[in-house]
Amino acid sequence: MPPDDGHGRRDYDVVVVGGGVVGCAIAWRLGFTTARVALVEAAHDVGEGASKGNTGIATCGADCAPGTLEADLVTRSSPRWEELCTSLDTPWRRIGTLAVAMTAEEERGLAHLRDQAHENGCRADIVSGDEARALEPMIAPGARAAVHIPDDGIVDSLRLTIGYAELAARNGVAVLTGARVTDLELEDDRISAVRTPRGRLTTRFVVNAAGLEAGRISALAGGDEFRMWPRQGQYWLLDRELGGRFAKIVGGVPTEVTRGIYCVPTTNGSLLLGPTAVDAEYPGEKAVDADTLDAVFAAAHRLVPSVRRDQAIKLFAANRPASDPVYRVGRDARVANLVHAAGIRSTGVSSSPATADLVHSLLADAGAPVEDEDASAERSLPPLPRLLGNPAPERLLDLDPRYGQVVCACEQVTAAEIAAACAMRVPPRSLDALRKRTRAAGGRCQGTVCLAGVSFLLSLHMGMQPWEIPVGEPEATLGVAS
Amino acid sequence: MTVAIVGAGISGLACAAELAPGERVEVFDRIPVAGGVHGWRASETVSLQRAAVRAGAALRLGVTAIRWEGGQLLAVGPDGVYRLTAAALVVAAGTRPLTRAELGLAGGRPAGVVPAPVACHLAENGLLAGRRPCVVGGGDWAHRACHELLAAGATSVTVLAPDGVRRAMPDGVDVVEGLSPVAVEGGPRVTALIAGDERIACDAVVLAHGLAPLRNVEGAVWDAPDVVHAQPLDDPATVAGAREAGLRAAAAVRTLLGSEAAA
Repeated sequence: MPPDDGHGRRDYDVVVVGGGVVGCAIAWRLGFTTARVALVEAAHDVGEGASKGNTGIATCGADCAPGTLEADLVTRSSPRWEELCTSLDTPWRRIGTLAVAMTAEEERGLAHLRDQAHENGCRADIVSGDEARALEPMIAPGARAAVHIPDDGIVDSLRLTIGYAELAARNGVAVLTGARVTDLELEDDRISAVRTPRGRLTTRFVVNAAGLEAGRISALAGGDEFRMWPRQGQYWLLDRELGGRFAKIVGGVPTEVTRGIYCVPTTNGSLLLGPTAVDAEYPGEKAVDADTLDAVFAAAHRLVPSVRRDQAIKLFAANRPASDPVYRVGRDARVANLVHAAGIRSTGVSSSPATADLVHSLLADAGAPVEDEDASAERSLPPLPRLLGNPAPERLLDLDPRYGQVVCACEQVTAAEIAAACAMRVPPRSLDALRKRTRAAGGRCQGTVCLAGVSFLLSLHMGMQPWEIPVGEPEATLGVAS
Repeated sequence: MTVAIVGAGISGLACAAELAPGERVEVFDRIPVAGGVHGWRASETVSLQRAAVRAGAALRLGVTAIRWEGGQLLAVGPDGVYRLTAAALVVAAGTRPLTRAELGLAGGRPAGVVPAPVACHLAENGLLAGRRPCVVGGGDWAHRACHELLAAGATSVTVLAPDGVRRAMPDGVDVVEGLSPVAVEGGPRVTALIAGDERIACDAVVLAHGLAPLRNVEGAVWDAPDVVHAQPLDDPATVAGAREAGLRAAAAVRTLLGSEAAA
């Protein structure tokens, strides 16, 4: 399929609406077929919604409600992570979770948690407080007992989402960013074309993976009604020096309402505390407030007393799509060529490979030409070596002398890594997008030292003036014209 | 014995000049010139650099130290990889203003909330962080940011100095003292900074308050028995203070090496 030039009329077999982890995974799966596929994303980059503001836990499914589609998709995804993340050059480690009970009442909840895990076919054991501390010495001395879930993992959800999109693009999927769906053209009971600011795309099938916008997309098509609203989470991100000392994800005992506050070591070594779960009114509500952050910190500190406020490197909020119903993955009841992958709340990363497979088979059932696998499709991304933690930097410099030019000192990101990110099929178009790919300016000084230099480098690669470089969306530039 | 020093500012050079007559000393700096915030032209930079080199210290400029592990410093530069086995590491890598998270600033994440070193670096290249910036801080970085922003064409500058102003700000700058920044407002670009009950309208918030040590050598970010930090947090920073910190670090290294008697 010829690469898309962003103009004029184009014709596709499948248009996937939404470039979050779910839509990108679907595009990745369809990229292995001979179908002509486009992915349209409203934001300037893929992975700009819930996919960039989450805990980075790839759960094995232990705490999913048994018998649900969510439990089925998450547990089917779990055994695939090692191979999948290797193929997508995405950091990933299966480190396990300890759900820690600090009180007698919480301790009584552990048996339910373990039994639920077993019902989902996941390994889980109740361990004593001492055994829990042996597994993770950071846990509070007062911990009475815990459930150990050894198969939970941590994943870089930004790199996963971008990796899905990148491999899809390398396999011929047109990835269009800045392409918010403004209208859907209908013929009888089918969608015939998708209208976006980047052009009109005719198509035979549409997948609705629009996250918080999924209700709007379905309404544009006259399809199933579902109600979606943002559920805001607030997070602390603490220094790499602390997170690197964690062996396990540490959580409390989940309640009916929420999975609770976790201390999650991330794949880049930092420690994430969160999230809260508060229903918000507008998707744009992404502000943090002191009271909520205090509550998050207190909940984390109760489990792990060594966390300190002065280790904070970032405080942030993100919205995940809450919906009624949840996990609406299926064909629309009214629109014959519309498949929904919507309402995927909270576990979108964890279920993404199996969700992509399910959507692929739903499309096939609906008659989409997605059954022929493309024998020439690439199965994995070429791995991009990174300086940080690399055991043999000498070899990197032989590969590209720009590995000797450290641009971001906190995360040890080099000019070689920035150049490689800028050469991607789904390239960064903002400082945030570059950070998502490389970690540049995402460390403990948050760009205090390097952001000017990073913006100069990015402007060179983008062929723009430094002051035109957006921080995120195009209208939010680093500077103003003087 | 070998001593590795990260940072060729006044502190690092003073430490090197002090130790080099007795020990083998190598000084690394990610910038290709010495002097740090005080600059390569400062007379103290020139004289300390000369003294350090004359005493036998090697200067590795434009080389970034990245890891301290098992008594070995790993550093990379355009010309290759350096591995230096050393008995002690001195981190004299300078300081920076506090980040948004360290200040505990609430609110959304609008564009235009910029660390002072970035605002200065951009302004030197003719790029304005904002026409009506609010600079948070009352010391060196706030002072420098006001100058650079005005020189680059800012029309009005407000300084919010939570701990008061410690350096005279340029003429025409509005100064608000004694209030702490609480939150930012606006989107996609910042429109105001909230401090106490005040709402300061602005199109950029320049973070210039407080100082934190720059610590980016893996394995030497937190205290370790074979690591000495020489990163004075004086604001305003002085050459004398930086030099003293370097000399204190040299004394600490001597104690560490058990070579005080020899000195």
